[in-house]
Amino acid sequence: MRTVRIPAEADFRSSLRSPAVAARVGVWLGVCFVLAFVTGVISHEAYVAHPVIPFPTRPAWGYRVTQGVHVLSGTAAIPLLLVKLWSVFPKLFARPPRQVRELVLHGLERASIGVLVAAGIFQLASGLANSAQWYPWSFHFRATHYAVAWVAIGALLVHVAVKLPVIRRALGADIEDASQDRASATEHGPLTRRGLVRSALLASGVAVLATAGSTVPVLRKVSVLGVRSGDGPGGIPVNKSAHAADVVAAALSPDYRLVVAYDGRERAFSRGDLERLGQRTAELPIACVEGWSASGRWTGVRLRDLLDLVAAPRGRDVRVVSLQQHGPFRETTLPGRFADDPLTLLALGLAGEPLAIDHGYPCRLIAPDRPGVLQTKWVGRLEVLG
Amino acid sequence: MTAVRVLVGALGLAAAGYGVVSLLDIGVDNLVAAGLWLAGGVAVHDGVVAPLTIALGLLLARVWRGLPGPVVAGLVVLGTVTVVAVPVLGRFGARADNPTLLDRNYVLGWLALATLTVLGSGVAVATARSRTRGGDRGAGACRR
Repeated sequence: MRTVRIPAEADFRSSLRSPAVAARVGVWLGVCFVLAFVTGVISHEAYVAHPVIPFPTRPAWGYRVTQGVHVLSGTAAIPLLLVKLWSVFPKLFARPPRQVRELVLHGLERASIGVLVAAGIFQLASGLANSAQWYPWSFHFRATHYAVAWVAIGALLVHVAVKLPVIRRALGADIEDASQDRASATEHGPLTRRGLVRSALLASGVAVLATAGSTVPVLRKVSVLGVRSGDGPGGIPVNKSAHAADVVAAALSPDYRLVVAYDGRERAFSRGDLERLGQRTAELPIACVEGWSASGRWTGVRLRDLLDLVAAPRGRDVRVVSLQQHGPFRETTLPGRFADDPLTLLALGLAGEPLAIDHGYPCRLIAPDRPGVLQTKWVGRLEVLG
Repeated sequence: MTAVRVLVGALGLAAAGYGVVSLLDIGVDNLVAAGLWLAGGVAVHDGVVAPLTIALGLLLARVWRGLPGPVVAGLVVLGTVTVVAVPVLGRFGARADNPTLLDRNYVLGWLALATLTVLGSGVAVATARSRTRGGDRGAGACRR
């Protein structure tokens, strides 16, 4: 029996582990990371009440698309990252150079790659788990995923800057060109380099098709690994049930009243009162940060009409308070643009039926182009802010 | 090219710096918890996933002489897609009060994907073989 020792860079013989493969897979991986980063920043902007650039209310399906792209580009990146890491794995065992200057440069490059790999794996793993509502960690997901996204994209840019000459040579030459290969990478296996790159892209495509049905309705039947089939009351899945939010008693109580407040004035509405107000219908999507989305036909009172009943001026932010006693989204701030939008409803029904309790009965907020968790359910109080 | 590299590098350092500051801003407890996962991800990949892949490759090359390329391609697809499927196969986020979440039979779904992959690889191998037979022992079959 041979003793197990730490391998050296020269022990890795496959000619597939080459800059030619790493650069080609890396380009696609880079595209996925940039897409995920940009859509992630958009999602972050959608969350804060007063973003740097005011978040638009149109198109109504905007957030549905950007968040779908966010989760799908992250999903697509997983096979690519695994193949990319495989192709450069021997580098992990590279011997540090002897000269001090080279040693420092080598150390810095290793450190930057360490940061990139750590941040990259962290983003994909935490995002993947989050999309399936699995939280096996104690860090604050949203804030941490956002902060590490900047680390990942920054480390990626540094990596591209460092490797640019190698990348350009690799992409400029034929994929079988061996001029940049490690001296030991001479063994040909059953798969060609082109075959490996194509396999990685195919895997990436399969991963997307197998999960995208949670947000692309036509793929529902195909997406055997989708977190949600798309079923649910009124044709819309549920993120948090009334039971989980601990609101069943308060939501079903005959004493339930929606209180609308502005400038010391308050008006209370029972569910029956709300039903007697002018009803509107709007086709709007619920688009969750976890990446699933579904469009619904919502019926209810236009929010602006309710605000008019307490003579609230236009352009004011509205604090929306749920019957929930706890949870980070118990209270949210609806920016004035959204509050005044004619499509924004306090929904009482979905798909021609009274709202299911898991969808927010007695009433819920539904506004265009907003993340799902900010579409407050079981609304108990609307406060027009000064 | 040097100017471009310096610019991209500086931009990268600035973005990463902003990320680090944001991460520190969340708090010490959060930093420790996130640090564990940042280091843990690398450790799991370099210490478990990569060695297992190498071991599997060596084993396969030993037991299957002339391993066809499409079979390796199929394993790349199935292996990496299985990693993507871990959270749904484990149903870790399932909740009794929410039947709309994780509402598919994922084991069956994975088996369907595996079957398709095997079929795809099989068809590719058969196509390559018939093409080789038509020619005169071309280089396409197996290069080992």
